[in-house]
Amino acid sequence: MDAPDRFRPLLRAGARFSREAAQRPILTFEDVFKSYREGAPVLRGMNLVIERGEFVFVTGPSGSGKSTLLRMLYRAEAVDDGRILFLGRDVARLRDDAVPFLRRNIGVVFQDFKLVTSWSVYENVAIVLEVLGLPQRLIRARVGEALERVGLAGRGEDPAGVLSGGEQQRVAIARAIVGEPALLLADEPTGNLDPQLAIDILGLFEEINDSGTTVLFATHDRTLLEVRARRIVVLDEGKAIDVPNGIATDEYDNRLPL
Amino acid sequence: MISVSTTRRARRGMVREWRLHALSVFSLAVAFVCLGASLLVVANLRVVEQRWAHAGRASVYLKDGATQDEVDALRSALARVPGVTGVHYVSSGDARVQFGQTQLESTAALAGLPVEAFPASIELDVTPDLPDADLADMVGKMKQLPAVDDVETYQAWTERLARLVRGGVAASGLLALVVLAAVLAVVGSTMRMALQRRKTEVEVLKLVGATDGFVKKPFVVEGSVQGALGAVGAVGLLAVLFVVVRGRLDGELAALVGVEPTFLPWPVVVGMVALGGMLGAIAALASLRKLVAV
Repeated sequence: MDAPDRFRPLLRAGARFSREAAQRPILTFEDVFKSYREGAPVLRGMNLVIERGEFVFVTGPSGSGKSTLLRMLYRAEAVDDGRILFLGRDVARLRDDAVPFLRRNIGVVFQDFKLVTSWSVYENVAIVLEVLGLPQRLIRARVGEALERVGLAGRGEDPAGVLSGGEQQRVAIARAIVGEPALLLADEPTGNLDPQLAIDILGLFEEINDSGTTVLFATHDRTLLEVRARRIVVLDEGKAIDVPNGIATDEYDNRLPL
Repeated sequence: MISVSTTRRARRGMVREWRLHALSVFSLAVAFVCLGASLLVVANLRVVEQRWAHAGRASVYLKDGATQDEVDALRSALARVPGVTGVHYVSSGDARVQFGQTQLESTAALAGLPVEAFPASIELDVTPDLPDADLADMVGKMKQLPAVDDVETYQAWTERLARLVRGGVAASGLLALVVLAAVLAVVGSTMRMALQRRKTEVEVLKLVGATDGFVKKPFVVEGSVQGALGAVGAVGLLAVLFVVVRGRLDGELAALVGVEPTFLPWPVVVGMVALGGMLGAIAALASLRKLVAV
């Protein structure tokens, strides 16, 4: 039975279908404020709505709050004011002991991969399912599928520390998707990769998005924004500016701070 | 409950940080050796105490001037006392011979002693279950007899041994507190170091939705294993020392106190190992109160 303070999304896999819940956005930011220093807020009354199944780039200059926005979503940072609704629940008001259950619904990929380099590829990916308490047989099958999706089939036994940067990022992506999260966050995932590898990794995120997972991709790499006509959210002066069809289209307003 | 994942992560942590864990186990073994040695002394003192408490013997020392008629009368009277199962007369000469047989090294020196140095006695076999009050009453009555000089029931020795055992138990209790402090300090430090070295692992676990309990379990298992291994190491070390010492002193100790030295009883050994495991787990848990914040 669920603990009373668990994170319970209003619509999730296996739950009874609710038309009303299914029509709500997956993510809503309402007047979100966040400040690390007094008088210098990073986000000041930010509003943003992300629909289910969207692929959204989050961009902006350094210090504009891209990482902060993502970190608030999985509650690595507290929200000073406002609401962040994820699957209908206000993330900002979750109790500390409910945070692990929130994180089980969100996959996160980092610029520095955050792999345990002394573990094998398999172990790095399987840990997500071990946390969920799945039986080993099922874990083996699902880890195998995830590694195959990121192009690392048969590499499970390799130590994660000996892989190349691109391969390590693929392992990190496999770890992020193996639990079949509703939302995938990528915090500058191509920052440590060469341009071609960065585009390959972006392609991988797009494939994951095609299977229905909502993706928030934070980057300051303009090249990536130019190669794909995707929705872009630009963070500037603590507010979100929406570019619905991306800068690869004619609609792009050159006055945006990119 | 300890899952497969917990066991595997704990084993992996111990294998990877084996030097750190080995040092910790060694430190704990030293602490447990102190406790084990104290318990070993207490266990042997208790055996001696029990042996003497149920010796079932009393010696009635006769005055130098006691006549043969008085001795015979006393023997037949003592044989009829309830609780007395045997009566043996030992003359001064017999006493010297018997003493010489148990103290071979000093036979030459004894040859110079006069026969009077060994008083004649009547040795009584008493039923081991004779109540202390009845024995004291019997001793009181015997001391009134004109031919009797003194009566030795070895009760004083038993009481002295009992006091020693009580002292040993108290000392063991204090040592147990020292061991507790040592385990908390050693396992706590080891766990904090292990946590520092495995910071990324903890960070990843928390990011993928692991509860604090899930993160802590392998560390608690590692602490428990360290404590238990420390106790096992201490028992092993004590066993080796015991075998070495027993090989050299066995005969002398048996002649002196009437019993052979014994090693720690199994329940004590199991108890020490369980205590080590439990203290290790508690120490690990206490040191992990604040995990890496993510």
